[in-house]
Amino acid sequence: MKAVLDGINRPWIGAVLWLAGLAVPLALDQTWMFIASLFAVYAIVALSQDIVLGRAGMFDMGHAVYFGVGAYATAILNTQFNWPILATWPVAVLLAALAGAVLSAPIVKLRGDYLLVVTIGLNAIFVLALNNNLARMTGGPDGIFGIGVPSIFGWQLASASAQFWLDWVAFAATLVLIHNLDRSHLGRTLYYIKHDQLAATTMGIDIRAYKVLAFALSAALAGFAGTLFAALMAAVSPGAFVFTESVTLFAIVLVGGQGSIPGVLLGTALMFVVPQAFRQFAEYRYFVFGIAMVVVMVLRPQGIWPRRRSAGAKA
Amino acid sequence: MLGTIVQQFVNGLTVGGIYALIALGYTMVYGVLRLINFAHGDLCIFGAYVGLVVLGSGAGSGHAQLLWLGAAFLVAAVVVAAAGVVLELTAYRPLRRADRLSAVVSALGASLFIENGIMLIWGPQLRVFPSNLLPSMHWTALGARIDLVQVLIIAGSAVLMAVLYWFVHHTRYGTAMRATASDQDAARLMGINVNRVIISVFLIGPAIGAIGGLFIGLYYRQVYFTMGWNYGLSAFIAAIIGGIGNIPGAMLGGVLLGLFNAFAAGFISSSWQEAITFALLIGILLVRPTGLLGERVAEKV
Repeated sequence: MKAVLDGINRPWIGAVLWLAGLAVPLALDQTWMFIASLFAVYAIVALSQDIVLGRAGMFDMGHAVYFGVGAYATAILNTQFNWPILATWPVAVLLAALAGAVLSAPIVKLRGDYLLVVTIGLNAIFVLALNNNLARMTGGPDGIFGIGVPSIFGWQLASASAQFWLDWVAFAATLVLIHNLDRSHLGRTLYYIKHDQLAATTMGIDIRAYKVLAFALSAALAGFAGTLFAALMAAVSPGAFVFTESVTLFAIVLVGGQGSIPGVLLGTALMFVVPQAFRQFAEYRYFVFGIAMVVVMVLRPQGIWPRRRSAGAKA
Repeated sequence: MLGTIVQQFVNGLTVGGIYALIALGYTMVYGVLRLINFAHGDLCIFGAYVGLVVLGSGAGSGHAQLLWLGAAFLVAAVVVAAAGVVLELTAYRPLRRADRLSAVVSALGASLFIENGIMLIWGPQLRVFPSNLLPSMHWTALGARIDLVQVLIIAGSAVLMAVLYWFVHHTRYGTAMRATASDQDAARLMGINVNRVIISVFLIGPAIGAIGGLFIGLYYRQVYFTMGWNYGLSAFIAAIIGGIGNIPGAMLGGVLLGLFNAFAAGFISSSWQEAITFALLIGILLVRPTGLLGERVAEKV
């Protein structure tokens, strides 16, 4: 098992798979194209969750908030202020990053479980604010409809295949970013903080600043996924950003393998793609998820596809 | 005005008693395992459904009715306690030595399993409790209306908490429980069977929680399969406010949170109630991270 995993645990295999994925619109119908787009978007959110949880070791169970900030930023700017979708991107990403930094700054000092509970609370407050139609802009429980399609150089990305390619390219950009993060100063610092906070402090690392930075970076990426999500669905509503979504993201990282790119992608596929194939059993979905989460954790506590041991040290 | 205050006080005390009963299960498990048992809230609501089955199968009035009510509490407590032990043996014990997050995800999985299991067995719609379970009596005091069911819940929770407090602080077994909570290895060296203590925690917590769940059914006269999340989360917040791992803390936290929620809903805004609760929690954690009565518990990393 381990040799097999190591064998296919190479970036070039990922690149080949990604290229093969480009052919999805040629080979499959509209439904599966949409599912593949959704996979790309959720993979970006899951990878962003992994920055805080798997790499920096902070128990964030409210990650759907940043995903939602990005999605609602695009939805509001596009439908109420008539901004083109692409113009909303930087705003959505910056707002999400800002939310990540501002919300995490006072709480990163809390230890593990307390941080987890507070982030659950932030998510609950966020959803309540959306439902209560905060500032008369979020549309209440129904959300916002009629979000436009992105256009690049006057070319409207209206077709499902165009949307898919956009999300698929964004997904590739995220993979490159995360791959480089592992090899960067920041990535190694986070890894250090996760594994030995005291030692990191004595080496002169400003733990609090790096933790807030990890939250901001991860929130920015989640916000980016959010803006893609808004354009893909053409609508946003509070239901997509509730606490259960955060739990699912949290579980994806743990079930797949913390800090492991293939693990997180596998987890995303299990949680978001597999249910699509069994839609006639939709009411059993979470029942089966529940059993699967317990069984995977008991059999493979480190996740299905754990991070290679040497990855942090060698890189 | 006085009437409203008294009314909210009684309502808050009722809900607070229920929170306290459920919070005890969270805090006891956290005390011995340092694990947030996310499935606990769902176990409690499972208790309400089991109780409803017993109540539904018994028709009658007067004394027979009260007998059925007692049976419902007993059966719910026994069934849910058994479920709690199965949960510990299958989902938590194999992960005792693993990364703590693995156990958290296992708990979340167990929660989804129980919640959706309830939905698959009893359906996704609201289940209504019969209205004739208790004689429809109420008293009026200081302009507030106090129902019989409220008196029952407040008195019932108070008695249960008193018994548990006595058990934990004045019996040998309770002492073993507290020893295990404060230092598992030292407790084992003292000859305490730690695994047995953990099993008993998973018997007592869910049994008391099931009674709390049945109180919810009696009070609101309806149950819904996702209720476990909401009540579980509130009860868990109560446990943290009181100081997680601390049994009197969970009782105090539950009652305080119930009162706080009642007054917040009555005097500030009911549509923002959950946000106000979480704001209170965040505030308390930032000022006093160990809760009101909590002592510093070392965290296993």
